[in-house]
Amino acid sequence: MSPRLVQRGQALKVGLVLASPILVYFVVFFIYPLFNLLQNAFTSAGGGFTLSNFQEMASDPILSVSLTNTAYYFFGSVGLEYSVGFVVAIILYGYTGRLKSVFRTIIFLPLMVSPVVIGLMWEMILNKDYGPLDYLLGPLGLGQANWLGDSHLAMPSLILANTWEYSPFVFLIIYAGLQTVPPHLYEAASVDGLSRTQTFRFITLPSIRPSLVVAFLLNSIGVLKGFDLIYVLTNGGPGFSTYILSFYTYVVGFSFFQPHYAAAIALLFLAIIGTFVFLMLRFTSVEEHLGLRRGKGE
Amino acid sequence: MKGRTLLLIAILTVVCLIYFFPIYFTAITSFKTNNEVFTHPVIFFPTQFTLSNYYVQVNVFRAVSDTAIGSIPWMIDSIVIAVIATLVSTFLIAAPAAYSLVRYVRSIWVARLILFMTMIPEAVFVVPFFIIIDKLSLLNTWWGLILVYISFSAPFSTWLLMGFFNEVPKSVEEAAQIDGLSPYQIFYRISLRLVTPGLIAAIILSFISCWNELLYALVITFSPFPGGAQTVPLFLTSFSIAEKAFNWGGLAAAGIFVMLPTIIMGIVAQRYLARGLTLGSVKG
Repeated sequence: MSPRLVQRGQALKVGLVLASPILVYFVVFFIYPLFNLLQNAFTSAGGGFTLSNFQEMASDPILSVSLTNTAYYFFGSVGLEYSVGFVVAIILYGYTGRLKSVFRTIIFLPLMVSPVVIGLMWEMILNKDYGPLDYLLGPLGLGQANWLGDSHLAMPSLILANTWEYSPFVFLIIYAGLQTVPPHLYEAASVDGLSRTQTFRFITLPSIRPSLVVAFLLNSIGVLKGFDLIYVLTNGGPGFSTYILSFYTYVVGFSFFQPHYAAAIALLFLAIIGTFVFLMLRFTSVEEHLGLRRGKGE
Repeated sequence: MKGRTLLLIAILTVVCLIYFFPIYFTAITSFKTNNEVFTHPVIFFPTQFTLSNYYVQVNVFRAVSDTAIGSIPWMIDSIVIAVIATLVSTFLIAAPAAYSLVRYVRSIWVARLILFMTMIPEAVFVVPFFIIIDKLSLLNTWWGLILVYISFSAPFSTWLLMGFFNEVPKSVEEAAQIDGLSPYQIFYRISLRLVTPGLIAAIILSFISCWNELLYALVITFSPFPGGAQTVPLFLTSFSIAEKAFNWGGLAAAGIFVMLPTIIMGIVAQRYLARGLTLGSVKG
């Protein structure tokens, strides 16, 4: 399949010349950092080989709280974002009128807003004295909740703000997937006399299955990576109630100044993300559009 | 049928109101006087419009916080850093790499590695990157952040552009070769021009991610002395607790300042971005 633009030997040379800038970057900003993490994780502050950084992880109460919080944040955020994004995509897909692009643009907006600004917005919205959320919830008899200051409410507040930010992303992927359902399938369904629900169940859902999986995995990785919103909205607090893995990795490195221990945690974090990337490669067609053959490159 | 459409419009309007509300509330807060900000009941339609929050921004910025040195320098730092990082990563690194991977190297494993690199959380490499930038004596400079931001946007843009290069018909390149163009000329003069939509998506998404980035800005440009290369997210986090409590107007105005450029870009280039945001997996 190799192009016949140039001879084989020359092809490799051209390929390497074109790829040389990224190769330099790859060595300096991927191989070296990875090597540095491994080196730090397996050595003590004195420099000798040790596994104590990993043993410390097993007995670190803050890490265990952070992991629990990460699970809470992960399932809460992905669950909510995915449901909201999915439902909104289906609803907009069902509407074919003139306002379609207006709706789409408005739902798309949160994706363009800086997470730091999102943090500031929600700090105002959730404010216990002058924030609009408490005010709007007032008639429902929910009283004055201290959203960010209460250790039981801080995480739900973060999940709420994150859902505003990230559900449009899920929406976007699923909505784009819906556009690719071939119209003739719907024609066939209506000829066969399928009901609206049946059409959705047997035509629409199976057709957008790839988008549903990609949306889930990208959403998952995005939530795990999140740092800015926590830094701005709660800074991990109150107490340790909103410490999640990404935040704790940063804190260990730059507040506790423990680069060796931070490296061990970073490797754990990398392994978790690696698992999701593996799932993505294994169960989705993200690489199909590249036109490369699976397996040995040719 | 008519009733169903009306119902859908009603539901979608409510959905859009919810999504738009935080932006709307920030916008009106930036035009409110303190009387209308700190009051009960919450005012959703201000009557005493003021621009003072924006004036304060421009004139008395030194007073906003001890470390702030005026809003304009932060904007300049952000624009310079985001533009240089974006142009270098798109045109000098990602485009040739993507083209090479699709047309010459053709290794799925390299492609997978690039995908993995785009997924690495910022927090993972924060210590090693700090060490690299420190060794290069580039802490607190534009170039330190530019190098780091390129390392995020280059793999992302490479992955994105690979899909676009793959769609360039080979016959076009073969015709160019018959015309006597070298492989490099074919890349630069023919194929690169044909992936313009991909370049637009890569440029805008890269610019937005540089503009919004917080963690490395915090770590690499910790010192807010003049010329310390502090970007707009740091400007927002530089508001003190007291200011956050008593100066919502200024805070909201600053937020509007920071989000306006990316929102405008997003709306203008919306149709190019869906594919980019989803790593090319959908063609929205």
